[in-house]
Amino acid sequence: MSQTILKMTDIVKDFGDLRVVKGVSLTVSKGETIAIIGPSGSGKSTLLRCINGLNKVTSGVIELNGETGMVFQHFNLFPHMTCLENITYAPIKVKGEDKEEARKKAMKLLEMVGLETKADVYPAHISGGQKQRVAIARALAMNPDLMLFDEPTSALDPEITGEVLNVMKKLAEEHTTMIVVTHEMGFAKEVADRVIFMNDGEIVEEGSPEDIFENPRSERLKAFLKSIIRS
Amino acid sequence: MAEYFSQFMPFMVTGVKTTIILFVITLVLSLPLGLPIALGERSRFKPLSWICKFYVWVFRGTPLMLQLFFFYFFFPFTLDITIPALPTACITFVLNYAAYFAEIYRGGINGIDRGQYEAAYVLGLSRGQTMKDIILPQTMKTILPPVVNEAITLVKDTALASSIGVIELMKATQSAVNRETDISIFFWAAAIYLIMCSVLTLAAGRIEKYFMRYDAKEEY
Repeated sequence: MSQTILKMTDIVKDFGDLRVVKGVSLTVSKGETIAIIGPSGSGKSTLLRCINGLNKVTSGVIELNGETGMVFQHFNLFPHMTCLENITYAPIKVKGEDKEEARKKAMKLLEMVGLETKADVYPAHISGGQKQRVAIARALAMNPDLMLFDEPTSALDPEITGEVLNVMKKLAEEHTTMIVVTHEMGFAKEVADRVIFMNDGEIVEEGSPEDIFENPRSERLKAFLKSIIRS
Repeated sequence: MAEYFSQFMPFMVTGVKTTIILFVITLVLSLPLGLPIALGERSRFKPLSWICKFYVWVFRGTPLMLQLFFFYFFFPFTLDITIPALPTACITFVLNYAAYFAEIYRGGINGIDRGQYEAAYVLGLSRGQTMKDIILPQTMKTILPPVVNEAITLVKDTALASSIGVIELMKATQSAVNRETDISIFFWAAAIYLIMCSVLTLAAGRIEKYFMRYDAKEEY
């Protein structure tokens, strides 16, 4: 059994009177790629945001062995810093890394996401897909043990989601531990080791991509997959 | 012509100097002082937030002239210390303008997207680092126009200091007009105020351009 990175037990999250996550348990092992799918408002993003404390859980236990990095739907790059500075800022200021080392590492990461030519460019001057790739590099620069992706392609035009998904695929192949909340069924099917279907604040079904996409058991998952195909 | 100017200009120049001193001191001290007040207003520590909000409420809600008179009498009457009119005016102006700048800063900070705080949080930045390196630099662009607006208002507000006997440009002009019985001097005073405001506007344009440097030149 490989090392457990994350163990969530009976996670409940309320926003006021609204219960958004209703007792979810989830264990993630090192090197796993997990895709969380489900309709809007099913609590996927909220669950993800509970992992790193962006949302405080109402009840439940989160055991996290290591640090997390996060990629947001809307990139959230720092607009007043160049792409390179976006990546080097936290390693230098938070981890106290040597400036030159941080720069070298950032250049390597930019190369990995195919944007080494954009190092000195401000985020306003690059496309959405490029912004998201920089955001991925920025998160990776902190050497996280677990990468969280919150609908990383939802704000992008369909024709450029591929460039972001390719980077994520590369990360999965390098056995980066990742949890990806996504609407990209193709990505979930092709890249994920395990797919989790959430509906109405609960995990309804989880299993291998084949289990989920080829042999859905619950009516809710069947209905969800049908609605995806139709759209 | 030379004689015409020599009648009142030396006096006016002294007034201009005082006006500039009051302006510069007010700006240099109130601009930074507004920041802790703005941050205090946003503080999660309620008493601090209340004190800062009360401060802004008082200084924005009462006439600057009233504040001038208050401090003019406050120091000698309650603290038993005599402070000349110009320093009194400086203190009053700094306290008053800090309240206005605090509100501008607060608005600028509130205008920053939540996502910026979240990105900073997940990267492990402290609250101080987030404010100093992520949030405040981004507010520069939006706060600059209202700050310049206040600075231009300040140029003209300095005239209020004449009410407690500071001989700045307005007071000097008034005296000159009285003495020379020549109202054309008002035009010269107006011209000087206009020049000061124009210099300010030009400088602001330069600074604004600097803070716009990371914006997209056009829609991508």
